[in-house]
Amino acid sequence: MNNINEVDFDICIVGSGAGASPVAYTMAKAGAKVLVLEKGPWLTEKEFFKDELAISIHDAYNPKLSDEQHVIEEEYEDEEGNSFWQGEATSDSGWTWWNGTVVGGSSNFMSGYFHRLKPIDFRLKTEFGAIDGANIADWPISYDELEPFYAMVEREVGVSGRVVQHPHQEPRSTDFPYPPIAEVPISSWIDKAAKKIGYHAVPVPRAVLSEPAMGRRSCEYSGYCSSYGCSSGAKGSGRAALLNHAIATGNCTIKPNAKVYKIATDNKGEISGIHYYDAQGRQQSVSAKNYVVACQAVETSRLLLASTGEKFPHGLANNSGQVGKNLLFSGGGTGSGDFIYDQLNEQQVKDLKVVGPFVNRALQDWYKIDDKAFVGANTKGQAKGGTIDFLFHQNPIARARGTQWGVDNEGEDKLLWGEELKQSIKREFTSYKTLRFEVFNDWLPTDDCFVSLDDEVTDKWGDPVAKVRIGYHDHDLEVGEYLSLKAEKLLVALGAKNISSSVSGYPATNLMAGGCRFGDDPKTSVLDKHCQAHEVDNLYVTDGSFMPTGGSVPYTFTIYANAFRVAEHIKQQWLKKA
Amino acid sequence: MKSFFDKNYKTPIWFKEKELSKRVLAQKVSRRNILKSAAGATGMMALPAFALDSQIQASLVSAKQTDPWLTLDATLAHLLPISATGPSADDINALPYLYQVMTVQPTAANEKEFIVKGVGWLNSFANSEYSKAFVLLSIDEKELLLRSISRSRAGENWINTLLNYIFEAMLTPPSYGGNPKGIGWQWLEHKAGFPLPEKGQRYFELPSRAKVKATAKVQRTAQNTISVQNLEIKRSTKA
Repeated sequence: MNNINEVDFDICIVGSGAGASPVAYTMAKAGAKVLVLEKGPWLTEKEFFKDELAISIHDAYNPKLSDEQHVIEEEYEDEEGNSFWQGEATSDSGWTWWNGTVVGGSSNFMSGYFHRLKPIDFRLKTEFGAIDGANIADWPISYDELEPFYAMVEREVGVSGRVVQHPHQEPRSTDFPYPPIAEVPISSWIDKAAKKIGYHAVPVPRAVLSEPAMGRRSCEYSGYCSSYGCSSGAKGSGRAALLNHAIATGNCTIKPNAKVYKIATDNKGEISGIHYYDAQGRQQSVSAKNYVVACQAVETSRLLLASTGEKFPHGLANNSGQVGKNLLFSGGGTGSGDFIYDQLNEQQVKDLKVVGPFVNRALQDWYKIDDKAFVGANTKGQAKGGTIDFLFHQNPIARARGTQWGVDNEGEDKLLWGEELKQSIKREFTSYKTLRFEVFNDWLPTDDCFVSLDDEVTDKWGDPVAKVRIGYHDHDLEVGEYLSLKAEKLLVALGAKNISSSVSGYPATNLMAGGCRFGDDPKTSVLDKHCQAHEVDNLYVTDGSFMPTGGSVPYTFTIYANAFRVAEHIKQQWLKKA
Repeated sequence: MKSFFDKNYKTPIWFKEKELSKRVLAQKVSRRNILKSAAGATGMMALPAFALDSQIQASLVSAKQTDPWLTLDATLAHLLPISATGPSADDINALPYLYQVMTVQPTAANEKEFIVKGVGWLNSFANSEYSKAFVLLSIDEKELLLRSISRSRAGENWINTLLNYIFEAMLTPPSYGGNPKGIGWQWLEHKAGFPLPEKGQRYFELPSRAKVKATAKVQRTAQNTISVQNLEIKRSTKA
């Protein structure tokens, strides 16, 4: 073991994304010596391009699946109708579970829909009661406790938006610090159509700067935003918004290409050091006064489970058996409708062809469903609902794929080429535009959705990979379908054609949380209300793993806000001891 | 496997990952794809005309005289012919793009092998049907031949693979060797994003990831006096 890099750090953070960066930022600014260990390389604005090959076709900002993979367990039925779970390595299926393995993590590639959770999300069980087969639990904190930190994220990370009153508007202590980013003409079409059918179209707050601030440039409306890295610095990634400032204090060291494989503990159960492989694959270790794990839900649980020791035979902080359990994704689905150019007037077509600015509209009218006709409602006719966001897609290669398929005289599928192909491509790109929506609703925690370590498959360093069982609760589909129908109704009001939607139990792998619940009872949770491990005093988990239930909006904003909240606690504890 | 019509052929994983088959396309609006595509774009920029360096261009000129490139050139030209309705394979630099996919991009060996083997199978079939190589056939003969092979699973996948590279040549940033001056984007009224990668910034030229310690490799090649680990470190510093 080589200890050349050992330094006495006040805090060592594993991971560098939305859960990690607020802690690095807060502690470095307070004067603490901070070390950030990140598995991926350290890229800057200069290394992000609007390159569909890099982002969606070759997934170049993530590990190769042959080097690092997951095993995904899905449920199957045998001939007698008995259910069983069967795992498949992602290196065999091609289904990546990586979301941005670089400094700043997946926050570099997020869409940045920054909806806050609402007060009912913190007390789902109290509000709606238990649901059979789901492990619903209230949070140990309230919305009011997190609210100041949502406001802090809006300020420090930079959120652009506009407050409008609507039936499900959550309480806010402040206005948005940045005006809304520019919108396409369709946004006002949505406003009008929504009003006509009694919906409330809500402007979507975005973690994208609408004007230069904090040493970062404004959004340049280059087009491609969601899933692409930002080259102007406007997108509020943990790297651009927080880590760069943490580095500037002189107190924060970022070590890229450092893959942590074990958090070691001594015979008293205290952490003795963090072991990692450096860029050349050499084993290194480092120690600190406090440790933070924030590798995104699945990898955080994997690291804790892999970190066995004399006092932790089943993994670090896992004597309760809770690590990896109650993993969450986002329920919901997607849908779309087409605007056919030759059915519209010249101005409407011109409006539709505007690209660059954002659609930025959401519906939250059914964040709480109050409808006795809804099949998933409780005895009071109520259920937790969700959010619907509208957007355009832009990737042209993805759009072209499919144009090579036509139908022959017998009605069979046939490959098109030659003149037929040219006309098919041209028609695809120039005769209509598709408006899409995405539904976000709670992914109920169940016993069939969890992380463990695979017994056979190892990554390129030889460490067991995470095995993820991805069972879902039928209730999630019922809510997703309820919301999708509401969204489809808006597309009808907009005059869209070919309207359809799809809700399934497959998780969106870029929306993950849970696995290390926080709670007051050490028997049923991994972390306390400060996201400090019940079983290890100086260990914190600050990514989305803490969430007992996930709410019905994308996770990043809440991960940021909670990490700032925990960072404040860590800072106070550190100041007391210093 | 000796022809497109081999019954033992199974569609490989690299092809499935491209999501080109009809079955996969039908399921495209799935949870797996949520948020995985992009929104918004603006402004066409000045684009470099052609990004293959002169060395690659020169080698392609000579390579084109013989197979597989001779036949691939003719096949691409047939799949996206010259016509008034839009750019041809030649206009979008489909062959130079494919050449780069095969020689510069880190394309999987089994995919490259399939593309090259397909040329052999196509020519064997052309010889058995017309006693001529594919490139010497008339347009109608080429059409019949390609239609025949597209009825086999392997043949369909082979043509589909080439069509996929036609799409890429038409719609990727010009630094990859296709889409000169954004001709494909202009034809399809697509507004590209910016910045676009230049040579040196393409997906396979981004900073590399952490390596695995090469101890095992060093032991296996013990007669070599320079350790593989040192070699790897040097290489990564250069990158």
